[in-house]
Amino acid sequence: MDKRRYFVRKLLNAVLTIILVASFNFALFRILPGDPARLLLPKGKQPAGAVEKQRKVFNLDKPRWQQFVLYWGDTVRGEFGMSFSERRPVTEVVAERIWPTVILVGTGTLFATVIGMITGVFAGWRRNGVFDVATTNSGMVFYAMPTFWFGLLMIMLFATRLGWFPTGRLEEAGAGLPLFGPIPTSWESFTSLARHLFLPAFTFAIAYVGEYHLIMRSSITGVMKEDFALTARAKGLSENAVLWRHVVPNAMLPTVTIVMMNIGFVMSGAILDETVFNWPGLGLLAYEAMQKRDYPVMQAVFLIASIAVIAANLIADIMYYYLDPRVQA
Amino acid sequence: MIPRRFVNWILVWTPLVWVLLELLTYPKDVPLSRGLVAVVRGFFSPSVAAYPAWALLAAAVAAAAAGAVGLVRKSKARTFALVLLGISIVFAAWAFLAGGGASGWSAGANDIGYSWLLQTAAVALGAVALWFWAKGNPERAELATWNTHQVWRLYRANWQGMVGLGILVVFVLMALLAPFLADHALLDPNAQLTDASGQLLGPFHPPSLAYSNWFGTDQVGQSVLAQFIWSARISLMVGLLAALMSTLLGAGVGIAAGFYGGWRGESWMRLTDFFLVLPWLPLAMILAGLLGPSYGSIILVIGLTSWPGTARVVRSDTLRVRELQFIERARAIGSTNGHIMARHVLPNVMPLIFANLVLVVAIAILSETTLSFLGLGDALNFSWGTMLHYAWVAGAAGLPAWWYLLPPGIAIVLVVLAFTFIGTAYDEVLDPKLRKREHSTGESRFSARAEPPAAGVADALAGGDGAGGL
Repeated sequence: MDKRRYFVRKLLNAVLTIILVASFNFALFRILPGDPARLLLPKGKQPAGAVEKQRKVFNLDKPRWQQFVLYWGDTVRGEFGMSFSERRPVTEVVAERIWPTVILVGTGTLFATVIGMITGVFAGWRRNGVFDVATTNSGMVFYAMPTFWFGLLMIMLFATRLGWFPTGRLEEAGAGLPLFGPIPTSWESFTSLARHLFLPAFTFAIAYVGEYHLIMRSSITGVMKEDFALTARAKGLSENAVLWRHVVPNAMLPTVTIVMMNIGFVMSGAILDETVFNWPGLGLLAYEAMQKRDYPVMQAVFLIASIAVIAANLIADIMYYYLDPRVQA
Repeated sequence: MIPRRFVNWILVWTPLVWVLLELLTYPKDVPLSRGLVAVVRGFFSPSVAAYPAWALLAAAVAAAAAGAVGLVRKSKARTFALVLLGISIVFAAWAFLAGGGASGWSAGANDIGYSWLLQTAAVALGAVALWFWAKGNPERAELATWNTHQVWRLYRANWQGMVGLGILVVFVLMALLAPFLADHALLDPNAQLTDASGQLLGPFHPPSLAYSNWFGTDQVGQSVLAQFIWSARISLMVGLLAALMSTLLGAGVGIAAGFYGGWRGESWMRLTDFFLVLPWLPLAMILAGLLGPSYGSIILVIGLTSWPGTARVVRSDTLRVRELQFIERARAIGSTNGHIMARHVLPNVMPLIFANLVLVVAIAILSETTLSFLGLGDALNFSWGTMLHYAWVAGAAGLPAWWYLLPPGIAIVLVVLAFTFIGTAYDEVLDPKLRKREHSTGESRFSARAEPPAAGVADALAGGDGAGGL
């Protein structure tokens, strides 16, 4: 397919999906039973006129179509209203939580991808060998394990029992780590970050490593049956050369796309991981917002998470174009 | 003539189903410690078989409709239709007895005496109905027997499938026998464990040899073992119901998307893709928050958010079935789309739907655990996720109270693994491509032993948006 047409179509598709998700977000609070104005207020007794005020703030006193237009205006301008638990604009609250999540999710995904793919390669190469049976069965157990439970076990073992890692929050470390600054500035703040980051990132990685392992493994097995692998072997290449030059590059393709698409869904993992480890990112924000029924914040988090998925899918599509020549043909 | 094996089934399964149903509805307050007589009396107590009245009414309507259709069509199995009408009368009587009282139709059943008798009558009549169905349709009974026999023969050869089944049987038995294994009174908020001298054990007491204290005590001094055993009921039930709902939705959308070409199929597919993109946990948290914390809303939320994976799998299989020749033939003799979908497409994709259901149960149990862990479950009825929620909130990880954290987590891992193994094993039975060559020699069976269920899992993961608690 023509390159430009392919990209334009994928891009349009992504934009359309984002528009649909945002509209879904609008509808979600209006199709469910109950008064949205009341839902958007904290639970409990409200001062007189609070509901009416809320109605005004969220334009709930206007007809539906006008609400819809106004909602879109606000969304495009990046306004999601006020967080009523923090009494600040939602945009501000959310913005300062993004960076910790990026660090956590980035490190975790890196761990998971590297470990999962390498073990997957060796397991697929020597299928049914000791290494394969051991890693694949552990991969299955990791897949069946609730992330948060593994996180609690990690805290119990390495933080409480052995005391190797801190259990507290990032900002309590007092090492001058800028919470939402871009990069740690001193060696101390870097080590503090690393010490705080290790357990949550490890837990996060464990949640995905089994999946990547299984995908890479079955991909390697599939590619090894192809004719070119046989040819490479027949012309006398060493086993290592066959594996790393011929089999692995071809087996990477499905794995890379699935990893990419998975990155979009990290929010679900991040919510649990950050809640258990008290890591001050978007996931913990979502949990706190749910407890305090802070729906404006929840809406914003939901929208961000959806956009992450759509963007990841788009990137996967684009990568696929370059990695798989069959798409270009 | 009814196949002999079919007769054997009826004879074995009828009492088994009866026992399972009676156990499922056994009153919570009659534990084994009260003595055998109390246990036997417990089976016949009014609260046994107390189903919601509306469910009984629905069963009555369904049975009556099926029977009426059979009579009107003058099908070969005339007695079968008549027995179905008989079942519908039993259910209707039961429903009116249960729903006629003060609590009404939706509130659940009133405790009526002899409802165990009605349940027994329903099970017995069900067996009779099956008998007459087989008598009216001997060739279909023959086919069903043969198919089941074949599937079981292939399944039995699968090492991991059998292990999964074994684990599952243990946990299902634990759930069903909960009244005999742990006194439900131990779950009462005021019931704290005491030692032999009547001294309170106190919060976070480590495990000891006393039976109720095998797993220690929780943050208020209650038995973790009792919570663990009773949790099995909720966890398995919620997982199963959520998976059923998700599969119903997914199968319906998948068949519609695959069967209709053109814009109709395309729009069903777009809907699926859209729901596939929605990040499930944030969405589930919003929905569960709006609906209020309860297992009912957890079932609803999991059902509503986890169906797209099923829809995609079912769609691709429907695309295959649609091209088969008998569909064209059915169309040529003037069958409507609805008829073709219900009578020709559905039976052919049914095995796949079932295999997928088993895999979805694993995902649903993980999802239930996740949502309960976040505090969206019922605070009074424990599930394994709720237990972990309390353990976490009480700071069990910081003590460290390992006896409180380990049992529910290990149970979840085992049950999820069991369902995954069973689903993949069944997948392999259905799809010869996934299967190793059938046990030709002992050697090949040995190598099949290490054959992991990776392919099916990878498919489920790739298709299923990773909706597990990952």
